[in-house]
Amino acid sequence: MSLSQPKMSVAELKERHLAATDTLNNLKQRLNHTRRSLLDTDLAGYARSQGKSPVTFGPTDLVCCRTLQGHTGKVYSLDWTSERNRIVSASQDGRLIVWNALTRQKIHAIKLPCAWVMTTAFSPTGQSVACGGLDSVCSIFNLNSATDKDGNLPVSRMLSGHKGYISSCQYVPDEDTHLITGSGDQTCVLWDITTGLKTSVFGGEFQSGHTADVLSISINGSNSRIFASGSCDATARLWDTRVASRAVRTFHGHEGDVNSVKFFPDGNRFGTGSDDGTCRLFDIRTGHQLQVYCQKHSDNDIPPVTSIAFSISGRLLFAGYTNGDCYVWDTLLAKVVLNLGSLQDSHEGRISCLGLAADGSALCTGSWDTNLKIWAFGGHRRMV
Amino acid sequence: MAPPPLLAIGSSFYPFSPPPTTIAIRVPSFPLSHTPSAVKLGIFLSLHSHIPLFNGPPVSFALEYDGPPLPFDLPRAVPISVDDIPVASVVSQVPLSDTLSLPVVQPIVAPKNPTVKFSKELRTLGSEARVSKEVELGSERTVSPTSVIAFEDRVSQSNNVCELSGELSSSGAFEFSNVNYASGEFSDEGGSSRMLEESRGAGSSGTVEFCESFDKSGRSSSALRVSNELHQHDWASTESVLSLEYPSTRVSSLKAEDCGDARRPPVVTFDVDSDDALDGDFGDEEEAVTRPLKREPLTKGKKGSCYRCFKGNRFTEKEVCLVCDAKYCSNCVLRAMGSMPEGRKCVACIGFPIDESKRGNLGKCSRMLKRLLNELEVRQIMKAEKFCEVNQLPPEYIFVNGKPLAYEELVTLQNCPNPPKKLKPGNYWYDKVSGLWGKEGQKPSRIISPHLNVGGPIQPDASNGNTQVFINGREITKVELRMLQLAGVQCAGNPHFWVNEDGSYQEEGQKNTRGYIWGKAGTKLVCAFLSLPVPSKSSNSHGEQHSSLSSKAVPDYLDHAIIQKLLLVGCSGSGTSTIFKQAKILYNSVPFSDDERENIKLTIQSNVYAYLGVLLEGRERFEDECLGHLKKWQSSTPGNTGPGPESDEKTMYSIGTRLKVFSDWLLKTMVSGKLDAIFPAATREYAPLIEELWNDAAIKATYARRSELEMLPSVANYFLERAVKILRTDYEPSDLDILYAEGVTSSNGLACVEFSFPQSSPEETGETADLHDSLIRYQLIRVHARGLGENCKWLEMFEDVGMVIFCVSLSDYDQFTVDGNGCSTNKMVLSRKFFEAIVTHPTFEHMDFLLILNKVDQFEEKIEQVPLTKCDWFSDFHPTISRPRPNSNSNSINHNPSLGQLGSHYIAVKFKRLYSSLTGRKLYVSVVKGLEPGSVDAALKYAKEILKWSEERPNFSSSEYSMYSMEASSFSH
Repeated sequence: MSLSQPKMSVAELKERHLAATDTLNNLKQRLNHTRRSLLDTDLAGYARSQGKSPVTFGPTDLVCCRTLQGHTGKVYSLDWTSERNRIVSASQDGRLIVWNALTRQKIHAIKLPCAWVMTTAFSPTGQSVACGGLDSVCSIFNLNSATDKDGNLPVSRMLSGHKGYISSCQYVPDEDTHLITGSGDQTCVLWDITTGLKTSVFGGEFQSGHTADVLSISINGSNSRIFASGSCDATARLWDTRVASRAVRTFHGHEGDVNSVKFFPDGNRFGTGSDDGTCRLFDIRTGHQLQVYCQKHSDNDIPPVTSIAFSISGRLLFAGYTNGDCYVWDTLLAKVVLNLGSLQDSHEGRISCLGLAADGSALCTGSWDTNLKIWAFGGHRRMV
Repeated sequence: MAPPPLLAIGSSFYPFSPPPTTIAIRVPSFPLSHTPSAVKLGIFLSLHSHIPLFNGPPVSFALEYDGPPLPFDLPRAVPISVDDIPVASVVSQVPLSDTLSLPVVQPIVAPKNPTVKFSKELRTLGSEARVSKEVELGSERTVSPTSVIAFEDRVSQSNNVCELSGELSSSGAFEFSNVNYASGEFSDEGGSSRMLEESRGAGSSGTVEFCESFDKSGRSSSALRVSNELHQHDWASTESVLSLEYPSTRVSSLKAEDCGDARRPPVVTFDVDSDDALDGDFGDEEEAVTRPLKREPLTKGKKGSCYRCFKGNRFTEKEVCLVCDAKYCSNCVLRAMGSMPEGRKCVACIGFPIDESKRGNLGKCSRMLKRLLNELEVRQIMKAEKFCEVNQLPPEYIFVNGKPLAYEELVTLQNCPNPPKKLKPGNYWYDKVSGLWGKEGQKPSRIISPHLNVGGPIQPDASNGNTQVFINGREITKVELRMLQLAGVQCAGNPHFWVNEDGSYQEEGQKNTRGYIWGKAGTKLVCAFLSLPVPSKSSNSHGEQHSSLSSKAVPDYLDHAIIQKLLLVGCSGSGTSTIFKQAKILYNSVPFSDDERENIKLTIQSNVYAYLGVLLEGRERFEDECLGHLKKWQSSTPGNTGPGPESDEKTMYSIGTRLKVFSDWLLKTMVSGKLDAIFPAATREYAPLIEELWNDAAIKATYARRSELEMLPSVANYFLERAVKILRTDYEPSDLDILYAEGVTSSNGLACVEFSFPQSSPEETGETADLHDSLIRYQLIRVHARGLGENCKWLEMFEDVGMVIFCVSLSDYDQFTVDGNGCSTNKMVLSRKFFEAIVTHPTFEHMDFLLILNKVDQFEEKIEQVPLTKCDWFSDFHPTISRPRPNSNSNSINHNPSLGQLGSHYIAVKFKRLYSSLTGRKLYVSVVKGLEPGSVDAALKYAKEILKWSEERPNFSSSEYSMYSMEASSFSH
């Protein structure tokens, strides 16, 4: 038809565009509908029917046992090392601090060229840290390099090329040379740190990528070629680093920006936390949403989820909220088993980030009240 | 379609952990990992407990766990049933009316030894001797937590009234809470429930856990929980000691040997005695300065031993706490002082001002610390020690002429060219005219910079002289009189002198200078002999003082103290970058470093190449058009065969072959987008060509038709006219070039510049206000909105800014952009959308907004040709303007606002209405010509005024703060 009418008026084109958009939305709706009709139960329902009982917590099972003080600005991001108990945290005071989580000592305090840092990550070997923020550059600091005359650690590598802020970065497991970033320019990028060049770009203008800022990424722990990303377009997408051209799968369901994605320990699912106040669990093989974790509040004002993390077994899901709550969800039964925000020594501000130590023995939360807190088992247990 | 979901769920079930079977008694599942957490913790602790850096109180079971990680008999989480608790029944027999008399009142009496008194009271209240036995007041002042449990039990049995039980609990935990009374934290706390919280935060973990379990008002099981919680000390107590507000109590140790007893939980020691000393230390008699509580060390062993491990003697190397004078040996110092966020202070002393006698030691690292920590840590700790706010000299301790100093005055004093050396708290007198400075009641000790606005007026008896000779209103001392006499000053008849800073003196009431006191060579010798001060060299050059005062760098710690952040946002093309550059040029002495200039130069040059490219492209188009016209014309007039075919090829837009080659090359590289890559080399090669090109008639003709080239930005004119100069290799961009240049600051999403407004001339405003102004540093943060996404996720990062400056280009009203969907939108409407998004963003709920209407110069030109109604938003702009008649003289123009003025006012009102409808507040508006320094300066100073204003706003009624007369009512609607 378009061949017979090579010249269409702008109005006509617009009309057709509108019609196409409508069709697309219709199809999407039908898809969702079919999905929902197929999804006859959720995880919690099935678990209940199997007679599972929720996890319970004693008063000493998870207590705040360390407070890491030293930042003077809001803490935005943290990461644990994979083996030794070190934490790197990024704050609005323009510093990265590397802590010894056990002794609370600061091992490094790195002054950043740009104070508006949003994310930080430890390399798998713990030799270097990466950070990124509003300067749209991902900076790598080698912790072993010598400081300059002012005592500042020099930037060892700048990964520049993003056109928007860097919202998230993570090293590819077991590789100190590759890193994936998520950015406000709607793309994710796999970087080669040794050369400082992009290996591949995921999403972008002409590809089926995110249609809004990417806020979070998480690499599959059991298959490092797969990673998930969460975005302002209220979707999470699954990517294969070998196939940059298109997302493997798109996960709809959230009604707000997806602030946090995290792979489930077994690598077959991932969890998301969103501005709509819910956490969700998606299966990457079927593309289905397995469970919604949503706490009913009395006043309909559900605080957005800022960050999530799974315990090593996966039975627990930790979720930080903007009102300073930090729920511990029973993943299986979708019940809140503990609220760290109601314990003593809890944070006074929004929980902005949280992370689990590599051995699963402790949880670290970072907050806008400038502190980081480490939560762990605080009791003394008799063995049977 | 996806497989049925049931399948998915079934398979998803596997990864979850199998139901826990092999673990702890009470806790059915393990919180964080597969391995039972107790095991984990055991490993965790046994691995790390021996690390010397482990600070806070020692971990008792860390000591126990030296052996294999799973000693099954070790943990003392022995369930204690209520019946096992010895005292419970006894106390519960106490009649309620009696217990009512127990609480809060007694401690306020502040007895010498409150602990004793409490136990006495307890005894009188009918409790048996067993209670007081439990509350052992031995030399160690230990108390077994079981007594707490006893109380807890009693409370839970008799919790009829909530309030009562609250009070009971606070008295029940008497061992702990009286500590609080002694430190004065408690006296002003009213409600008992509040007290519960206070004692919870008080750092005594015994109380903490007690209160916790009390809140839950557990019955029989609570006892078990308490005993459990007491075992948890090592984690919890390290934490609570860190909590800075209530540092007076300290869990000193969990004695390992006591743990052998299976029935008794570990003993907690509280050091109460030393805290009694806290009350006494109000005021330092010697200096007659009121001071806050002086902190005393909490524990004292035998003389000279470490305050923590009680080992060592006078000769072991020790580190001293700057606040409480506690000394710790090298084994303990890191535990006692923690991460030292404020330098060498005990963990409990953090937040307290340092002992003034130790001020000299600030930032001087001991050998011990250097040995214990690595170089970087030491440096950071020393820096923190020197510059953290709480360690600074408190200005209110320094009295000058009987008046305590304010913060700004102290800064003035310390930053003057000739400051008093080693300033310590105390009373001083200061002669502002001559700069003489001394301790109250003593002869002058120094001559500091004169005319500093610090302290009150000088008193006649400031230096306690009795000579009846006065200098600048101060009766001088005998020593000074002798000096004057030796210097040859007539002192007969008890004269009153005026002495200036240069040493010239006059008699009071007379005009002529009688001489110079320090003029003679001998005088200085005499002064040295009498230990009187002489003016230093620098103070003689008093002419420069004012300028040096303002330019002097603000001390480091102030840098962080006062910084006001201004966020500058706007759509692309609204001129934020120009304003940013303008601020840099205006307020920074070196606006751009050499590196930056080099980069800017490259940017400008590549920009110019791009402009040239556009021009060359246009030339080709014009040439084609011309040829087409020519052909048409030829074909339409077939008879005319005059010009030969060779002349067909030539039009006024044709260029020579050499230039043609260059033109083709440039266009090709531009299309391929590689201009940046090959560019620096290109300058060298093609610089001579540019001149030839620019002077070519064809290019000149194209340039004349530049308005038809849409791709050419308006600033291109400025650069193209200077193209030849700019594209030379030795080109140095001027400030104006930089202002005009595109893309200089937008290389990444964000740029910021720190500046302080230069001090205005001293006569303009009061001096102190001025000084304060120059201390405030402003940080202008320019955010490139396009690069940061439309969802404004990043705005949360700027919740600490003082104000948002939103930039709108006035001349955008007839501009359109095409978005991804192919719809073209008016740029002004886009700006409005962005403005709405930012103004309504929850982060900026109470933020002040300053709207900068930029490019008013272009706007005024444009509005004469293009009607404002071209933008839909402004469709109701109907200026009732009486056009100045041709014969009217120039005066009448001044009375009638021009169309441009009316237009900008109209737009301002549009935005103000929009803003107030969205937020209900007033919008500040400034009309700016971005390229004129004065205009930008005025706008930024206006921003400064708004910031100052908003600080003072609570003092004014809200109806008054509108500085501009762009009221909505001035336009009929």
